[in-house]
Amino acid sequence: MSLQRIWAAVPIALAALAEPAHAQGQGDDELSRIPSEAPPAPPAARSGRSRLGKTVYVESATEAELLRSSFDVPPPSPTPTTIEQRLFVDAVLHWIPIRDLTFHLSARAGLRAGEDIAFPTHENIRVDLRELYASWKVFEGAYLDAGRINLKSGVAIGFNPTDFFKTRAVVEPLSVDPSVLREDRLGTLMLRGQFVWKHGSVSAAFAPRVASPPPLYTSTALPALDPMFGRTNAHHRFLLKANVDLIEDFSPEALFYQEDGAVRLGFNVAQSLGKKVVAYAEWAGGSQSGLSQEALAFGTLTKSFSTAVADNLATSSATHFQQDASVGLSYANESKMTFWLEYHLHQAGFSRGDWRFWFDQGTGPSGELLSPLLWFERGYAQEQQAPMSKHSLFLRADWADAFIFNLELTAFANVDLYDGSTLAQVTASYAVTNLWTVALLSAANVGSRRSEFGSLPGAFSALFTIRYYF
Amino acid sequence: MSRTNAFRALTLLVVAALSPRAWGQTAAEIVARADEVRNPNASFRFLSTLTEYVSGKPQAQNILAIFSKKDPRTGQFRNLVGYVEPPRDAGKAVLLDGRAFWFYDPASKASVRISPQQRLIGQAAVGDILTVTMSIDYTATLLSTESVQDANKKPRTSWHLDLKAANELSSYARIEYWVEQGSFQPVKAKFYSDSGRLLKILFYRSFETWLSGLRPTETVILDAVDSSRVTTVKASEHRLQEIPEAWFQREYLPRLEAQ
Repeated sequence: MSLQRIWAAVPIALAALAEPAHAQGQGDDELSRIPSEAPPAPPAARSGRSRLGKTVYVESATEAELLRSSFDVPPPSPTPTTIEQRLFVDAVLHWIPIRDLTFHLSARAGLRAGEDIAFPTHENIRVDLRELYASWKVFEGAYLDAGRINLKSGVAIGFNPTDFFKTRAVVEPLSVDPSVLREDRLGTLMLRGQFVWKHGSVSAAFAPRVASPPPLYTSTALPALDPMFGRTNAHHRFLLKANVDLIEDFSPEALFYQEDGAVRLGFNVAQSLGKKVVAYAEWAGGSQSGLSQEALAFGTLTKSFSTAVADNLATSSATHFQQDASVGLSYANESKMTFWLEYHLHQAGFSRGDWRFWFDQGTGPSGELLSPLLWFERGYAQEQQAPMSKHSLFLRADWADAFIFNLELTAFANVDLYDGSTLAQVTASYAVTNLWTVALLSAANVGSRRSEFGSLPGAFSALFTIRYYF
Repeated sequence: MSRTNAFRALTLLVVAALSPRAWGQTAAEIVARADEVRNPNASFRFLSTLTEYVSGKPQAQNILAIFSKKDPRTGQFRNLVGYVEPPRDAGKAVLLDGRAFWFYDPASKASVRISPQQRLIGQAAVGDILTVTMSIDYTATLLSTESVQDANKKPRTSWHLDLKAANELSSYARIEYWVEQGSFQPVKAKFYSDSGRLLKILFYRSFETWLSGLRPTETVILDAVDSSRVTTVKASEHRLQEIPEAWFQREYLPRLEAQ
């Protein structure tokens, strides 16, 4: 027996001295917690050549909104309804009829009623065909997709500059939470090819123009049974994007996007910093005019108002290189909480001077004439899914299993860095069973009358939803 | 120190040092052999049924499809986890590859990068717990030989090992690990956070033959932070499957077919 072996045995002897009854006494409480019954066996994997996967649920959504009674710049009618009830069926289906070919369908159909929605009219019915496309695996890693596809890009949470197909795609969202906005959006009619290999991926998508752009939608001017291709396919669009593992665990994505000849370039990257932090950045840039001029040009193009009226607000229509960026950090702790802090730059958005001009025009002698145009600019920015101001801050917190099992609390705030006004929202979502989920959401626009969020017609809103999965 | 304890220490010192069973293997070898018992040395796919108990009553059930493949560079398993049930989670997918963790939600069509800490929040963390190659991610020290009760309250003569995180990829800072002598079957493990907080206690049970080895098919996870919570993880439908390298790209997540 070597001296080394004897020396190695010493810790065992010392351990026995320190805890002589460890093996017998330990674990009694632990063992009593172990469930005796075996869990039910899982269902057998689906076999056969034809397969159907589905996620279908029905949801009831009741919303109440408290509107402001006075404004510096009065919003045009119709103002949002104060009480609205929606009932809808949401379905996502995947059908694989033969090997390597998949059909995808994502749609939502429902009924709605509200104070300002006439009954019974087509306004009470809403059907949104979000996706319908075929996907063919040409060979391992190579895919061709054709149809209406929701193509999403970007790594940020609150604002995605490289998500080029987001514009005008969101339809009547239940929440202004960016994560929910992404769920309630229409896909774009396109042909997409993708190749994924060991060290990266490359995708190319072409979306043709198939319809003219319609005017801005309002909550009481939504078509009942219309695919609304004018929202998603009003321009010829092309996207090429690729990500490559440059070094281990570092795989940035570069994007080239062209819309009716205008080019935008994009870049995004996300990286872990230690065990608890993820840092991410997303950037896009290209030639475009300012938000106000873009909105007014769109308004005259869609005959929402005349050029003569738009000229009252027109400044420079010149385009120049404009940048969008989203830079953030997420932090997760051991208590199942995750926090995000994100800075947003939207160079085409409103500066402090633009905001002053907006309020001055709305409260000036021509305010009554100009206020519809001014609010048109706000509505346009909302449909573009871009921040209204050049500089804003986004904060978010998620807490899984908060206080009790299966209760998730989410809160976020969108802060205008010029005036400090804030859109804040808190959501409590509870999975009662595997099939039932209830959620309560409340949101508030906080700020002075001459601020971005303080000037909005809605002051406070609450939403209660019940969802059942089939 | 009492005379009895002194005698016990001396006896253990001599017996442990002389015993070829205890000292035929190093702590690292014991952990490596237990790794071989827990998982095959090949790419494979299996279903994992998670049943969550709160105060002894089953509250929720999740079914995950887990695709595991060893990374030839690190020797560690990389996992792709696809959510099969419940319906509200169906289609979600998680990529757990070394330090790269991505979560994909089909509702938003978005893939979001998550931190090593965040991956422990969701059920997909089970993929890591089941397939982690402890002999690579942790440095083991043999603490003692003792009789420990397994999940069925049966005593098992086991090595008690102390595992410390060997690299930044390790999910936990420290693990206490009990491996049965002779069979090298894992019996029990305790997982600790960076701050030394006990997070989970695992029991391995229901040893059955799958993929050419007698391996555990069920893991019982006791939540050490919330003592009312227990999760059982039943693995089934194991099959060897060649998993292309391209599947471990985040852009592949939307195309993962869990079923």
